[in-house]
Parts: sequence; C-alpha cells; structure tokens
Amino acid sequence: MKYQSQAVAKPYFIAAIGLFVGQILFGLIMGLQYVVGDFLFPAIPFNVARMVHTNLLIVWLLFGFMGAAYYLIPEESERELYSPKLALAMFWIFLVAGALTIVGYLFVPYAKLAEMTGNDLLATMGREFLEQPLPTKIGIVIVALAMLFNLSMTVLKGRKTAINLVMLLGLWGLAIFFLFSFYNPANLVKDKFYWWWVVHLWVEGVWELIMGAMLAFVLVKVTGVDREVIEKWLYVIIAMALITGLVGMGHHYYWIGTPEYWQWWGSVFSALEPIPFFMMTLFAFNMVNRRRREHPNKAAVLWALGTGVMAFLGAGVWGFLHTLAPVNYYTHGSQITAAHGHMAFYGAYVMVVLTMISYTMPLLRGREANSPKAQVLEMWAFWLMTVSMVFITLFLTAAGILQIWLQRMGETPLGFMATQDQVALFYWMREYTGLVFFTGLMLYIGSFFVKGDKTQAS
Amino acid sequence: MSSAFTKSAARNIFYGGAVFFFLLLLGLTFDTMQTLPKRDNRANLTDSVERGKHIWETRNCIGCHTLLGEGAYFAPELGNVYTRRGPEFIKAWIKAQPTGAPGRRQMPNFNLSEEQLDDLVAFLKYASEINTAKWPPNIEG
Amino acid sequence: MNIAIALPTPQDRPGTLPGDLAMWFFIFAELLVFGVLFLAYAFARARNVELFDASQHNLDRLSGAINTALLITSSYFVVRAVDRIRHGASRACAAWLAAAMALGAAFLALKLVEFGGKFAAGITMSTNTFFMFYIGLGFFHFMHVVLGMVILGYVAVKAWQGGYSAADHTGVETGASYWHMVDLVWIVLFPLIYVMH
Repeated sequence: MKYQSQAVAKPYFIAAIGLFVGQILFGLIMGLQYVVGDFLFPAIPFNVARMVHTNLLIVWLLFGFMGAAYYLIPEESERELYSPKLALAMFWIFLVAGALTIVGYLFVPYAKLAEMTGNDLLATMGREFLEQPLPTKIGIVIVALAMLFNLSMTVLKGRKTAINLVMLLGLWGLAIFFLFSFYNPANLVKDKFYWWWVVHLWVEGVWELIMGAMLAFVLVKVTGVDREVIEKWLYVIIAMALITGLVGMGHHYYWIGTPEYWQWWGSVFSALEPIPFFMMTLFAFNMVNRRRREHPNKAAVLWALGTGVMAFLGAGVWGFLHTLAPVNYYTHGSQITAAHGHMAFYGAYVMVVLTMISYTMPLLRGREANSPKAQVLEMWAFWLMTVSMVFITLFLTAAGILQIWLQRMGETPLGFMATQDQVALFYWMREYTGLVFFTGLMLYIGSFFVKGDKTQAS
Repeated sequence: MSSAFTKSAARNIFYGGAVFFFLLLLGLTFDTMQTLPKRDNRANLTDSVERGKHIWETRNCIGCHTLLGEGAYFAPELGNVYTRRGPEFIKAWIKAQPTGAPGRRQMPNFNLSEEQLDDLVAFLKYASEINTAKWPPNIEG
Repeated sequence: MNIAIALPTPQDRPGTLPGDLAMWFFIFAELLVFGVLFLAYAFARARNVELFDASQHNLDRLSGAINTALLITSSYFVVRAVDRIRHGASRACAAWLAAAMALGAAFLALKLVEFGGKFAAGITMSTNTFFMFYIGLGFFHFMHVVLGMVILGYVAVKAWQGGYSAADHTGVETGASYWHMVDLVWIVLFPLIYVMH
C-alpha cells in the first residue's frame, strides 16, 4: 500500500465478502425450494429469496468495484484520495441502505414495502434485479455520484493512466445507465426495452470496462510486464467488448414485442461477443507467461488466470450457446438462461473482484502476500468454488435441455410443472454442488485467518 | 509483429469504436420506437391494464414467473397465460393459493380484491396480445 | 484479410501491415461483422428467393453503380495521398485526401437521395427481410463512410500542418487502411444487394 487513503478499500472488501456469504445462503435456500417446494414457506417465499439472492450479488459486486476503485485509483494517480472521509461515509451509507433494504425484503410484504417507500409516487419496483425501493435506488445514485466525484477529483489532479481512466469511465457508465431504472412506462414493451439499458449495458457493457481495468491493474502488479503493453491490450479488448456488446443488446430484443430485425442484429453482434472474452483469456495467460518477476502472491495470479478462463466459458461460450435467434426461440426463459447467468456472473465479475481482493488484502494488512499456508487454503477455495460452479452450470444446462425438449418441442408438450418434476434430479445435483461451493466459500473466508510463517520474498 | 502498435492508436480505436457503435444503437433504438406502435398493443393500454401492471410489480410476480420469457424460472410463463388458461381460471387460481400440498412449490396469497384481480387479468390479456414474433413455441410457454 | 492494392511506391516495410496494428483489430472486427451480415443475407435470401428478387427491382442500380465508382476512385485518391507522404509531400497528401473526402461526400449525398426515396415510399427496415438488409446494411455502411471521412479529415488536417513526414507517416497509412476497408465492404455490398439475383 503506497498511499494511506487506499486503506478505505478494506471495509468495502470485508462488506463484499460478508454479503457474498448471504447471497450463497439464499441461493442454497432457493435451490432447495426448487425440489422441496414448500421449504421455508410462507416465511421466505421463493420470490423473496431470489430477490435477496440477486440483489445481494449486485450490491456486493458494487462494494467490490468501489473498494477496487478506492484502492486502484490513488495508486494509479500517484496521490492520496481526494477525500477518504467521504469514501468512508459513503461506505456506511451504502451498507446501512443495503442492509435495510434486505431486512425490508425479508420482514415486510413487498406490496407494503412499496407503499411505505413511495413507490406510488414513482413506480420503479417489482422489475427483475431492480426490485429496490425508491429510497434505495436514490441512495445508490447518491453513493455512486459521491464516489465518482471523489475518484474524478483524484484522477484530475494526478497521473492519468489507461487503467484509471478506463476504470473511471466504467464507473461513470455504471452510474449513468442505472438512471434508466427510474424509467418505468406502462407500456410493457418499452419498459422491457429500457430495462435492458440498465441490465445489459451494465453486465455486457460498462462492467466489462471495470473488469478489464481491475484485471489489467493486478496483471501489471503481479507480472511486472511493461505497463505500455498491458494498457494497449486493455484498450483493444474493451474496444472489442463495446463494438460487439452495444448492438449485441439485440439478443434481448427477439421476443418482447420489439421489431423482428433485432433477430438479425442481435444474433450477428452477440455471436461476436465471445471475442473480447477470449482475448481477455489470452491476455491474462500471455502476461503471466511473460512475467518479469515472481510475485509471492501466487493466489492472486491464480484468480487472475481463473477469471480469464471462466469469464470466457461463462459469458463467452455459454452465452454463445443460446444467443442465436433460432436457438434462443427455444431456450429463452429456460434453465439454460440460469446456467449461463450463474457461470457468467461468477467467471467475470465474482472472480475479478476476488482477484482484486486477493491481491490487495495482504497489502492492506501490511504484507506483500499471505503466508504460503494461507495461500494454499485460498487456492483450495478457488478450486472448490470454481469447479462446483462449472458443475452447477452443467447440471442447469442439462436441466434446461431436458426442459426444452419436454415442454417446448414435440407434438404433446408437457406443462411447466410436469416438466419441472421430470428434471428434479438435476436440481438435486445442483443443490449438492451448491453445498460444495459454500464449503469453498467458507475455506476462502478461513484463509483470511490462517497465520502461518511469514512469506519470504522470492 | 514489427508493425506499429501504439497505445494512443488503441485508445482512439476504443473511443471511436465505442461512440460509433453507440450511435448505431441509438439509430436502431430510434427506428424501434417508430415501429413499436404496430407491435406493442398500445391501443389496448387502458387504465385497468396500467393498474394491473402496478399490481404485477408490487407483488413481485417476476420473482417466480417469467413474462415474455424474462424473470425467474421457478413458475410458469405468464405472457401467454391468458390464452392458455382464460380469465376465470387465472382469478380462481390466484384466490386458491397457497395450495398447501406438501413438498410442492407454493405461491403466496396476495389477498387481492375482485377489482384488483380484474386489473391483473386485464394486464395479462394486454401482455398476451403483444406481437412477440410467435414466441413462445407452444401454449405451454 | 489483406487488401492488396498496387501501390505506386513499394511499402516501407514489406510483409507487414501498413498503419497501426490497433486499427487492424478494428478492421478485423468490422469485416467480421459485415462478413457475418453478408452471410446472413445469403442465408435469408436462399430461404426466400422470390421476395428478394421482387424487392430488388425497386432499387436504383444506377445510383448504386455511381456510388461504387465514387468510392473506388476515392480509394485511388487515398493511395495517391499515401504515395505523396512517402515522398514527404505533406500538402499534396492533404490535397489528395481532401479530394477523396469530396467523393465520399458525394457518395453520402447520393445515398441520402436514394434512402429518401425509399422512406418517402413508406419502406422501412420492418417492411420485409430484404429491405431490412438493404436499409440496415446500407445505413450501417453509410455510418462507416461518415466515420471514414472523419478519420481522413483528421489525417488531412494533420498532414496539411506538416504532422507527417516521409519517415513517419503511420497515421496516414492507418487512416488509408480504414478507408480502403469501407470501400471494400461497399464493393461486396453493391453487387450482393443491388445486382445479384
């Protein structure tokens, strides 16, 4: 840690990991409800569990991005953060707002929550991933703007590098496109059309900039490869991401009442979306192979390589599987979508945040790397979580294929629930694998508490 | 490769490419907005439908169901439920929840009034008449 | 991938791509997009030949042919511009680039007239699959011509101000490469959509 103010990243990362645990717990509840339908009913109905699961994911990733930004921007700009106090204040505001929202989800009926929080003034709730009450949404905007002000001032007065500019641009995009969450027309088609301007332009747009910047930052640090090389590849990769990903949004506009030409535009552009992810994989491996130093933090290197591979598999390959309109006609809204969603989010965003945490946490705790013993445990956690996510994806894919076959193909299609009964075996296997994932997560947390010998610099 | 490969060129490609393809997206969006009136069933967007959408949202139906294929995959697609089941079945079904059948998936009872049920059905009817390019593949959704 | 052009002056570094590699990534992506769209057109046409042939009759082939000539000529001007800068003639380079841009502008004007006629006749991307491709691809390419002119304009101004030399003119080659790509795409697009049936 070169600048005192980078320490503000630490609470962000701790909160991120805490909320991650909550996310997985609720994932396990939902997974069980898939096969034991009345589990925890009526205390936690499925829709509530899902809302908590997905919202916690978004919030903890945002904590991760923010923590990463507060660490990375001062170091890249070569100066202290403009206002560490503001960053810390925003941390507490965001944490309290997030916690209150989750408590609200769990203990207040959703309709009541909507009424209490002014949803009748401006109805924005009840849309997938954007379920947050109005005050929470406004809170997100305020926290994001305060953060952007803080970071922009830091960059403006400091050194400008490709990494901090791309990171900043990604975060600005994140804040700007979130504003579409306040637009909720009665016209369902328009509602859905602009809903994607938040969801798609986040995960297949500006978040990729954030991810690229974080990955590039860690690679510069752990490989010692010339910054010039890493930065120009960063630009090329994110250029590809936006070239393919912006119009690639068309793959969400096939069946929601939008003009049918989107089937062509969406198919063509989104078919090319794996390219930037593949480049990112090559990028990570290439830079590590060309490394000029042996960084003692082996775990961070493993996470960096892992995110390259898993983002390509989850976002690239599993995305491509069902992105072409004639295929998507059958797979749309099936378990295939769930399979893709799980591996893409894990491979791209979960892993890149964990990469950043893995690299920075030891530094924030006053050492270059954790003890070999702690790193071994962390790597065990890496493999358990990653391999179980691969299997979760495979089981959901199998469930999806069977579901489509039974429910959407053939002369005598089965109804939805009859089909669900037929694929229950795969849901059970997914749930067991989820327990392995949770074990991995526990080991991951455990690795922060392993002392072991001091690392010798190699 | 011995060709020039500079960071400034890469940066220009990024900014230029991003702006260019964002403009293309805006162009397509503009055309979409012009074309939507022919497809999105806005002629039938009544006050009742609007109230129904509000009920749909404030009961977080999307947390279990899909609507035009988007949402959660825990419970049936409802974009075409109006054609699949008809208005009376839908209302009776909602009122009869939860079934309480052991081990089966449960839907909460939202204690909707008769008028709210009619609004919700109106919304589902409106949704079922949106031109979705023949999706879903069959009536089961 | 390589666009072979008979250059008046041999390349400085034989066997390497002219211009900046970053631009070639962009060109690669663009050609990939156009290539897949062309394949999609062929695929769609094969499934509905009659509709495509009938719709094609509404197109103004003369306008398309003139536009083809305009772009090919403009590409030649760009070649001249690169040749001039290799001899260190900055002003001449800028002049050739300006001439190429003028032809590009003429292309745009003609294209606007053509599109204007179609829009006035109530034809949109949703009319049928053929017109989806005709308008969609045409508009997409139109945007490329605009972007190409922006790039050429930037290069021309910099050349006029003496920003390039015989020794260092990667920027001119970079811009030229992009313009040739825009031209190349049209050379495929025109016969594919206007002529072949």
